[in-house]
Parts: sequence; structure tokens; C-alpha cells
Amino acid sequence: MFGDVVFWVLSAVAVAAGVMVFRFDSMARATYALLLSLLCVGGLVVRLGLDYLGVVIVLMMTVEMALMAVFMVMYMMNPAGLMPMSMLHNTKGAAVVCGGLFVLLAAGIVLAPWPHRRGRPGDDATRALGESLMGPHMLTMMTLGLALFATIVATVVLATRRGRYDRFGDALRAPRADDPARGGVGR
Amino acid sequence: MAETAPLWAVVVLPLALVVLAGVAAGADAVLSAAHGGAGAWRRAADPWREAVRLLVQQPRRTRAADRWLGRIGIGLVPVAAVLAAAVVPWGLRPVTDPAVGVVWFNAMEALAWAAVWLAGWGPNSAFSLVGGYRFLAQGLAYELPHMLALTTAALGAESLRVGAVVAAQRGLWFVVWMPVAFAVHLLSAAALAFWGPFAHPLGRDVAGGAAAEWSGPDRLVLLAGRWLLLAAGAAFAVPLFLGGGHGPLLPAWLWTVVKTAAVLAALLGLRHLVPTVRMDRYMEVAWLVLVPLTLLQALVVAVVVLGRR
Amino acid sequence: MGLRTALRRIAATRVAVLLVTAPGATAVRLAVEAGVRRRGPAWGWAESPAAANALLVAAGPGHQAGGTLPDSLPGRLWDLLPHPKARATAAGEDEAGPALDSLAEALAAGPGWRSGSAPGGPGRQARKGAGGQDTELVAGLPMAERGDDRDGLRLDVLHLPLGPALPDWPAGLVVDVALQGDVVQEARVRPLSGPGALPPSGDALPYWDEPWLRAAHGESVSEGAAHRRRCAAHLDSLGRMLGVAGWPGPADRARRLRDAALRGAPAGVLLPGVQALRRRVERSRTLRGLVRGLGPLPAARARELGVDGPALAAAGDAYDRLLRWPTEAERSAAGVDSTALLADRRPVGPRGRLDGPRPPSRALLDALPPLLAGAELAAARLIVASLDPDPDELLGEEAPHG
Repeated sequence: MFGDVVFWVLSAVAVAAGVMVFRFDSMARATYALLLSLLCVGGLVVRLGLDYLGVVIVLMMTVEMALMAVFMVMYMMNPAGLMPMSMLHNTKGAAVVCGGLFVLLAAGIVLAPWPHRRGRPGDDATRALGESLMGPHMLTMMTLGLALFATIVATVVLATRRGRYDRFGDALRAPRADDPARGGVGR
Repeated sequence: MAETAPLWAVVVLPLALVVLAGVAAGADAVLSAAHGGAGAWRRAADPWREAVRLLVQQPRRTRAADRWLGRIGIGLVPVAAVLAAAVVPWGLRPVTDPAVGVVWFNAMEALAWAAVWLAGWGPNSAFSLVGGYRFLAQGLAYELPHMLALTTAALGAESLRVGAVVAAQRGLWFVVWMPVAFAVHLLSAAALAFWGPFAHPLGRDVAGGAAAEWSGPDRLVLLAGRWLLLAAGAAFAVPLFLGGGHGPLLPAWLWTVVKTAAVLAALLGLRHLVPTVRMDRYMEVAWLVLVPLTLLQALVVAVVVLGRR
Repeated sequence: MGLRTALRRIAATRVAVLLVTAPGATAVRLAVEAGVRRRGPAWGWAESPAAANALLVAAGPGHQAGGTLPDSLPGRLWDLLPHPKARATAAGEDEAGPALDSLAEALAAGPGWRSGSAPGGPGRQARKGAGGQDTELVAGLPMAERGDDRDGLRLDVLHLPLGPALPDWPAGLVVDVALQGDVVQEARVRPLSGPGALPPSGDALPYWDEPWLRAAHGESVSEGAAHRRRCAAHLDSLGRMLGVAGWPGPADRARRLRDAALRGAPAGVLLPGVQALRRRVERSRTLRGLVRGLGPLPAARARELGVDGPALAAAGDAYDRLLRWPTEAERSAAGVDSTALLADRRPVGPRGRLDGPRPPSRALLDALPPLLAGAELAAARLIVASLDPDPDELLGEEAPHG
């Protein structure tokens, strides 16, 4: 009973907050509505018995949304919520894509041959998850990790305007990097 | 050991945290006035009087402000502190001891990222917004070493359950063989509370930063919430590294109080020794010095744990 | 009802002072600072109008009338303070004590709290776009325009005045900055008499230069008095710099020593204190790591700008300039007991030669804009504090006597 109430409340708030992302006319509000939605999803995952994944969703999404708000404000015209702006762009195209995606996913849910549960879930879902990740799925996770890391490095390399020759001179002999702001370890 | 405290603890926890934070703030006021001559100890009540002043003060409104978002941010600060403290064992029993308590603490403390940014964003004022942004930079700097420090303690106990981490220290406290992780956790406790050497988001150079435009009860909640966060961060160091309630002679709850007070005293001392750290300088220290150090610490602990089997 | 009254009574005993100093009122500021400290733990300083419940204007002897300065900064600040609040003006050293007492009385007896929220704050304080033309307004505030930034991005530019009511900021100084994020792209020093500035007060000599200027006018001034003033001036600058750097303990120590020097403490008392402070500042590796490299002003460049005094002697960055103050204060502290008359030499004040064509603070202000461009806001505050121009010296230049 109690579990059902929690499930329906979290689900309703998650969906409502998700809708509000597109109704708010301020980027900060839209970002934090999305965060609220994702926090509810984290709660739902905890309700599924996957404590670790649920709490990690809360942790990661809070941090990500806080940072995303910064980038949204930084790169958008007229930030600061001073100028009310629509969160909707290319509405027709987006509607088509979203509708198609929804149909695809719903069809997948309905049509996929879901496996039946055999045996009981272990007592410690976190341990099971860890053993799975570090055992049979080790290769997948390592590949994924390396790919993500390579993406980060590549993005930074592509985005940065100044390389080491700008910082240390053509012969790389400058004793101190020529940076607009100095770091803290005295390089 | 694994059993949790009775239900009334849910009510007592926030009150206990407020008292702890108030005593710490009082001690800080005494310490600040210590070289001012006699009667410094009377300043211990200063934080409470200041709280009363803010309580009856008029709240302020700035032009084109997003008051809702700002107030949500302000309210989130004490809420995050209390939720984080829920997994801290007072004595040997926490209010709740979830299987992923260490991660829970980390997640609740990350709510402060959103909270301070929102508090800085809400008033629509340049200095206040600069303060809010400063905390995100600070979060990026302290969070990675902090996560590794928390991981190290969990690794030593082979569990994410805070109760298990305490139980693993029945013989040897983790601080003895994880000194780096302990030191990083202390720094992080100050940093997550944007307090002391890490008070730059509320810096004097930007007229109070994220707190610059808040007055009255709003200001009280923000500034008190920051002491609650500090108290929660300090209290969490006890089960993680200082053996929790374990100790000779005294009962477990008293050991917890004594150790928490010691950690808070160390933090107060740090505040008076070190000027406020700017993130444009600290970021490099955190990522180029602290991250490798904590990784090394985690490696050492992992090798010891494997060797013990 | 009873509880609310009791709470208000407790609240009224605490005074958080927002101090606004008019250029030329340094002596009044010092008297107010000493007065607040003497009044004990219930008194403190507010960093912003929102944090204050008392506004104190330290005006020079020129402001005699009633203490109200219509259409000027104190009036605007007063509107920003939340209720309950009190205000007072001190126009002279001897008025500091009574003004502080009147604040306490007004708060204790005050009408209390009016319901509703305080009126709109400054918000984003941008009022005019670049070049002064009005830009598009939303909610009465202009929208930001865009420009190229330091790192090659095209970002919004926010025009923001720094000062005059900032903690640890030179009295009455306003620096208009163009900010992108928190990076200063461009800085312009506003003339003291410009809009928004406090009117100059009186025709007294600049406080920190007084002994040397008096001696130059032929009055007899003892060397000890001059050393005392120089020592206090450097400690004042040091206290402000440490305050901006966020190190409240030593900043407070510097101010206490400053007041002791001005009160006439003998060298035997003063010198050990200054020495201990110097060692503490010099030993802090964190402080060095934080301030090193900000606002470099090599000797050649300083000379070219006409900078003199500690800023020239330091011949380096903000950290070098910071260290000059305790060193020179210590040297001066050793001589405060001298009774010999100040010899008839070229007058050299705490910030440099006083007989040049321009006051030394003018050169310091001229050095500011290029150093501030490209600095982050926190660094910009430290750079200003490390040069610490004294607006008192500029009054004679900008508002001629009579």
C-alpha cells in the first residue's frame, strides 16, 4: 500500500516536472524542473530495490543539472531569466521525432520477449551489481569507460584555442606558461 | 549493531544537529574574539542572538528576482544537511543505516551545489550570481578528491554501509592507515559547507556573494544551513575514519560527541590559520595534487584489503 | 505578543553597521572603526545593505548640515536596508561616538518592522550600455550586449560599477567594469566628482599625508608623529588587503595595531606586534600561492606611470606590494618615539612623494585599468587593494579649495 503511494506520487511528480521543463520560460527554472524529474526517477529506482543505482542517479543528476544550468546560461542569448524565452524550438520536427521514439519504445516494451524470473534476487543488489560489472561485463564497462574518457580528451583538444606552443613558446623553453590566469601549483 | 535508532530519533536528529552547529558557531565567535581581551567566552551566545536579529528582520526583494527559485535554494541547504546527517551514527546507531549510506551522504551533500547556485541566482544581482558560480567551481574542485576519500573508507570496510565501516574499525581506526583520505575529507567538509577557507562563494570581496542580497529569515536559513552542513560533514568524519563510537571507558554516544567536537575544533583552527582559497588557484592543487594522492591512498588500501583475504 | 516583543528586544541589541566613507573622511572612519570595536560583541560590520541594520555615513567636516545627502549614495543605500533600521552621519572624529550611540538608541526605540518586503534592491546594477546609450530594458533593467572575451568566445557583457559602498574599498572610489562571466574585460576609474560619488568633504589635508604636508608648510612636526602616521597608514592598507584576501584574523590584528599606533603606543609595545604580524603574513604559503602573480607592476612600468612609494619599491606583483607594508610599517614603528623635528626635506608620504605635480594616488589609479583588464573579479579586488590608492589625496586635485 505504502509502496504504491510512493510509486504513484514519484511517477506523477516526475512526469509533471518533465512537462514543466517545456512550460517554464526561464532556463534556470527549466533546468531545475528537469532535475526534480530526475530526482523522482532516482527515487523510483530505489523503490525497485536498486539502492545504489538510485542514489547514484540522485548524486550524478544533481551535479550534472547544476553544471548544465551554467552552460545554458552561458551560451544562450539574453540569459538571467530576465527576458522570458520559450524553451521550444523546431516544434514540428521535435514532435515527429518524439512521437516516433515513443511509439518505438512502447512497441519494444510490448513486443519484446521479456525473460521470466528464475530464482530469487540476492539479498544485496549492490554486491550483485558490482560482481556483474567487474565480472562478465568487465570488458563492456572498460571499453565504455575508455571511450568516454577519449571523448572528453578529444573534446577539450578540439575546443581549446591555445596549445603548448602558445603557452611555452615555439621552442617550448619558456620557464612559465603564458596563461591569462595562473594556476595554483606554480607551473 | 546494524539495528537503527528508534523513531523519535527522526525528530531529535535535526535538533541535535542545530545544537551542534550552534555550539560550533559559538566556539568560532569565542575564538575570533580570543585576542580581544577578557570576556571573550561570552560571545558563545552571539550566533543565537544574531539568529534572533535575522528572524525578526524584514525580508528583502530585489528587482526582477526569481524569488521562488532562490528560496528553494536557500531551503535546500539545511534540508541537505539534515538528510546527510541521517546516516551518521550517533553512538553506534544511525537514524537509518541504508546499505549505501556512504553514497547517500555524498548525494545529499551534492544537493548543496544546486542550493548555493540557486541562492545566488535568485536575487538577480551580479555579486550574488558571481558567488553562486564560485560554488560550482568549488564543487568541481573538491568533489573528486572527496569522492575518492569516501570510497577509500568504504573500500577499507568492504561495505558502503556506514554501520559496517564503523564495525571494521573496532581494532584500528581508519585514520591511522588512511591519513590522506582523512585530511581530504576534512578539507571537503569545509568546502561543502562553503565555510572558512572555502568561504569564497560568500566572499567579502563580492560583498557577501551568494548571501549578499538576502536578509531576514532567508539569510538566517542560508547562514545557519551552512553551519549545519559543516556539522554534518564533521560528524561524518567520525564513523568514517575515527572509529565511530568505539573507545575505552566512555559510552559510545559520548565518544561520538567527543570525536565530533575534536573534528570541529580542527576545522575552526584551520579557518583561523588559512586565508580564503580562490578556486582559480585551488582547482589545480585539487586535481593535480589531491586526486593523485587520494588515488594512491585508495590503491594502498585496496592492496591491503586483498592481502588480508 | 510577549514573545515577539522579547525577540525584538534581543534583536535591537545587535547592530550590524554598513559604513560608507566619504573621500576626505579617513579620520572619521578610523574613529568609527575604533568605536565599533570598543562597543563589544553586539556590534559588527555588514558586508552589504541586506546584511545591515544600521547605516553610518562617515562624512568629513565639510558635511555639517543635518546629515542628509539627498539624491546621493547614502539615500539610495538607506532604501536598500531591511527594517528595522537606523542611520546616522558622523561629520568629524568627535561625532563618531555620539553617532554610534544614536544608532543603538534608534534601533532600541525604533518603530520596528513594517509589514511587507523591503523595496527593490539594485539588482544587476547595470544602468547604461557601453558609451552611455540606453539599451533595451526588461523590468526596468537593460539587457546585456555581447562582445569578444579573453578566451576567444563571444559572451554577454555586463556593465557594473565597483564601489563606492564595498567592504575594504577605497572611500568613494568607483571603477566601472565590463564583466564577462566574472572576468573584467575593461575597467575605467570614475572621477570622484562624477555621478554616484559622494561629494568631497571639506578642505582638510589628506589624513595619511598630514604630518609631511604640515612640515612642508612650515609647522613643526616631530619625526615620531610622522613615523606613527606612516606606520598606521601601511597597517591600514595591509588590513584592507588581508580583508579582501579573506583572512579576517590577521586583518583585524593589523587594524588593532593601526589604532594602537595612532593612539600613541610606544615603540616597545608597537614594534613586537608589528613584527609578529609581519612574520605571520610572510610565513603563510597559502597567501603567497593565492596572491602571487596578480597585477604585475615592474619598476620600469611603475616609474613610467609616476608610481612612487611602496608600490614602486616592491617592483613586482600584488604579493610583493603586500609584503612591503608590514616591512615598512615595522621600520616606522621603530621610530615612533623620536622627538626630533621632521627635517625640512622633500615631503614623502606613505604612498610616495607629495611635492610632485600630481598626488601619488593619482599615479596608482592610472596604473589600475590595464592591470584590471583580463583579471577575474576576485583578482581585480586584490589588485585594487594591493595598490590601495587614497582618494583623500585626489580631493585637492579635483575639487580646488573654495
